[in-house]
Amino acid sequence: MAVGEGRRSQLLRGVLDLCLLAVMEEGPAYGYEMTKRLRARGLSIVGEGSIYPLLGRLEREGLVETHRAASDGGPPRKYYRPSREGRRALAAGIAEWRAARDALDGVLGLAEAEVAP
Amino acid sequence: MNEFVEECRSEWKRLGVPDPVAGEMAADLAADLEEAEAEGASAEDVLGTGAFDARSFAAAWAAERGVVRRPRSGLPRRSRVPAAIATFALIIAIVGAVLVIAASPAAPRVSAFPAAPPNVALTRVAPTPAPTDGAIAVWVVAPEDLLGDTLPTNDSGVDTRTVGSVLLIVGLAGFVPLTLFWLWVGSGSRPRRRPAY
Repeated sequence: MAVGEGRRSQLLRGVLDLCLLAVMEEGPAYGYEMTKRLRARGLSIVGEGSIYPLLGRLEREGLVETHRAASDGGPPRKYYRPSREGRRALAAGIAEWRAARDALDGVLGLAEAEVAP
Repeated sequence: MNEFVEECRSEWKRLGVPDPVAGEMAADLAADLEEAEAEGASAEDVLGTGAFDARSFAAAWAAERGVVRRPRSGLPRRSRVPAAIATFALIIAIVGAVLVIAASPAAPRVSAFPAAPPNVALTRVAPTPAPTDGAIAVWVVAPEDLLGDTLPTNDSGVDTRTVGSVLLIVGLAGFVPLTLFWLWVGSGSRPRRRPAY
């Protein structure tokens, strides 16, 4: 794995649970549906591991609520949506992400300016 | 893709995931994979790197969901105390049996001791002259003399060598189950490898 890919993978691993909470906040979704929503926003999970263990952890920690319902023309699926605790965790996680992003922009943005021709 | 789900199922079974939970996870996974396949997506599009190792993927999912049966952790600490005492007693019994056998009349009576002789009646059989300081000499000594009154005698007619031999055999035989027991306890408390995903 190239250095860039490895870094991207590590960065994504740190926030993939927030991404899942964010896409299911738009509306209840089952596993593959979440993958499609992420992909529609330019976030492919290929190479990043699976979302299923993460969904399992979110469920165990009480950050999501689940229910079973029929999907469009398919078998019944397990739908996930953020619980109250999950929404709180999402809000806190977004704040942390923005703070980290701003701090990193402050450092990496300067470095980029120095190497620019 | 069914093969992947079946491999996951067997891993969940091995891990002790309850059947209803395993069935639910397998059904969700199969439905997602079928939908992806119908849309022309690959298993990797759905599972990421998990698509290449069904067992690790299944183990990781079950572990994160918290549905893996707790691994056998051996005996609780309180139950190990009697076992530890039994082990200690067994060792003492074996050592005692060896001493009894060594002290019995039929045992060999030649031992090696430092030049300074023990405080018992001894007969030096090494050739003259006497050894200088720090040298080793060979002394003939009866184990009963060394151990004094702590050893049983044959006054009662009991064959101490036979008694010692029986004790030794029983002690050594007891070591087998005890060794297996401690190996079992040790393997149960070993941390399990956490699968990567």
